[in-house]
Amino acid sequence: MQTSKRKLWITFGVFVAFYLFAMVFPFFWVFITSFKTSGEIFGTGAFRVIPKDPTLKNYITILFEKNILNSITNSFIVATTTTIYVVIVATFSAYAISRFHFKGKNILLGLILAVSMFPQMIMTGPVYNLFLKLDWLNSYAIVLPYSTITLPMAVWILVTHFNQIPLALEESAKIDGATTFQTLYKVIFPLAAPGVFTVAIITFIAAWNEFLLSITLNTNSEYHTVPVAISFLRTQFEILWGEVSAATAIVTIPTLIIVLFFQKQIVSGLTSGGVKE
Amino acid sequence: MWKMGFKEWLFIVPTIVLIGIFSLWPVFQSLTYTFFDYRLNDQQKAGLYFNERFNVNLYKETQLYVTMFLDEDLPNVKDPADQKKVKSVNARLKSVGKQFANEKGVIKISRDQRADLVNLHHDAKNLVEALNGKYTLIHKDDLPALVDDIQNSIIPSNFIGFKGYNKIFHDDRVGIALRNTTLFTVVSVFIELVLGIGLALILNKAMFGQGIVRTTSLIPWAIPTAVAALMWSYLYNGSSGIVAHFFENVGLVKQSQDLLLSGPGAMASSILSDVWKTTPYMALLLLAGLQNIPSSLYEAGSIDGAGKIQSFFKITLPLLKPSILVALLFRTLDAFRVFDLIYVLTGGGPGGDTETLSIYAYKVMFGQTNFGYGSIIVMMMFICVAIIAILFVKFLGANLMEKN
Repeated sequence: MQTSKRKLWITFGVFVAFYLFAMVFPFFWVFITSFKTSGEIFGTGAFRVIPKDPTLKNYITILFEKNILNSITNSFIVATTTTIYVVIVATFSAYAISRFHFKGKNILLGLILAVSMFPQMIMTGPVYNLFLKLDWLNSYAIVLPYSTITLPMAVWILVTHFNQIPLALEESAKIDGATTFQTLYKVIFPLAAPGVFTVAIITFIAAWNEFLLSITLNTNSEYHTVPVAISFLRTQFEILWGEVSAATAIVTIPTLIIVLFFQKQIVSGLTSGGVKE
Repeated sequence: MWKMGFKEWLFIVPTIVLIGIFSLWPVFQSLTYTFFDYRLNDQQKAGLYFNERFNVNLYKETQLYVTMFLDEDLPNVKDPADQKKVKSVNARLKSVGKQFANEKGVIKISRDQRADLVNLHHDAKNLVEALNGKYTLIHKDDLPALVDDIQNSIIPSNFIGFKGYNKIFHDDRVGIALRNTTLFTVVSVFIELVLGIGLALILNKAMFGQGIVRTTSLIPWAIPTAVAALMWSYLYNGSSGIVAHFFENVGLVKQSQDLLLSGPGAMASSILSDVWKTTPYMALLLLAGLQNIPSSLYEAGSIDGAGKIQSFFKITLPLLKPSILVALLFRTLDAFRVFDLIYVLTGGGPGGDTETLSIYAYKVMFGQTNFGYGSIIVMMMFICVAIIAILFVKFLGANLMEKN
């Protein structure tokens, strides 16, 4: 019995170790490559684990010549704006959906769910034409269509959260003479804060990662967000893997920080949105 | 539950407005596009023209050049009768131009105005032909083409009804794209599900390492797909990619270059990248489902003499089914709509072997600026997505709304 249990543990261990290796290896390898000279990347040293003569040249080129900081700034502006307005809009409507009875509520919920399943490509054409007419191409107005990818998810997660907060709390607040707004502000928000925070993080990540709308609506490189800017590093004629690796390493850092600090919230958001409890 | 007052309605309005403008209106707009031969790069088709329209800008430009050229050629026209004709055509061109002096762009015109234009084109064309027959004009090559632009400034309706839909049945690329999309979706989601369940089971049992595994799992999910795809394209790269090199040494591919440059290799690579990026996400979703299964059920099972395998099939799977279905539904839809991963990793190549419906629609719409046909492909995707969702919800019983 004892040995079979130990065998099981070893199998588990091996599996988990292999899994961790598979998940981390690509990052690890890209990180190493970012310190290699292009001679080493394309030459015989391509598969060497420790760079022969480590260099920071790739980082310097990416930061100062290719101006990756500009696209990081863009991504930051776009993702933050999206997060702020989506969280506000979603909180209010999720509260109303969770607390009030009205006609067409199920239709609205079904619609919100259906929108999250739409192929994004279906919005891209009409929104492109709309922006062309309004002269909004190549601007930060792109945060508005980002609502189609972030808002349904945000409303959905928040409705679940609000449903878990007992009604009695608000009813007693009402008896004490609080207005709807006061109830929301003083009773519900503090209780819903963890849920709202979770939604904020997930919205931020979704907006930060968005690719299709960004590449079609903001074609000017001044407005490129990180994913688009990075995809343009690989040109048709030359692929400078050293620079690509350095850029990848730089842009992964914000994501890494978010994940390390907020993993609990992220997991709770993901699972409450996708899995019933 | 309370009754909804006016103030509470205001809470929902922003959501409805945003979803209405940026999610629902585009769907109907795309549907409208499908009924038109709508191309942004073609003056005659750069709009949705249910009826005939008149391109004022083109007419004004044409009028300017035709009158200018005719004036310049006037000295070459010897016969006074012909000279008179030239002057009369010029005068007519200008008088029509004056009618539209305050207009610009593409407008609607009356039937009479249209008849005038057709007549004018007819007369001008005859005149130019006659002149070209009799005399040697400076602009003998340019004038006939220019005169035709009078006719061209009447834009015919580009409404084509369902004809566009007919085209997708004869377009091989759509069939190939649909096949690629289905292959990609089925294979990647299947692998992700199997690995995801396995991983979730292990994590559920494991005493140690849950934290580190969870952190590590979130990173591939959290980084932008475009960045992940670019990273993998380096690892798959024929000359210096370590994964390609490894596959060559193991014997999975003959030459490391084959990985991205052969059709099956590129498809397998795309699937592998997708599995790498989303298996952890799947595992986390399923883990949450697993943790909700009370352990008393397993104890009861083992008292009744159920083995490990039996309790997996009789207890775990049935109770995990709702979680599995919801996770499967969302993953299937995500995989079906795949864009960034393939766009960055292979661009749909080599030779269209990894071209999915999204990629093809994108190329048609933004590469060839053919919004009409592109929208038809997108509409086809939309229908497929709807079918997938309905299949899951109706037949497999994935209940998404139960919570509410």
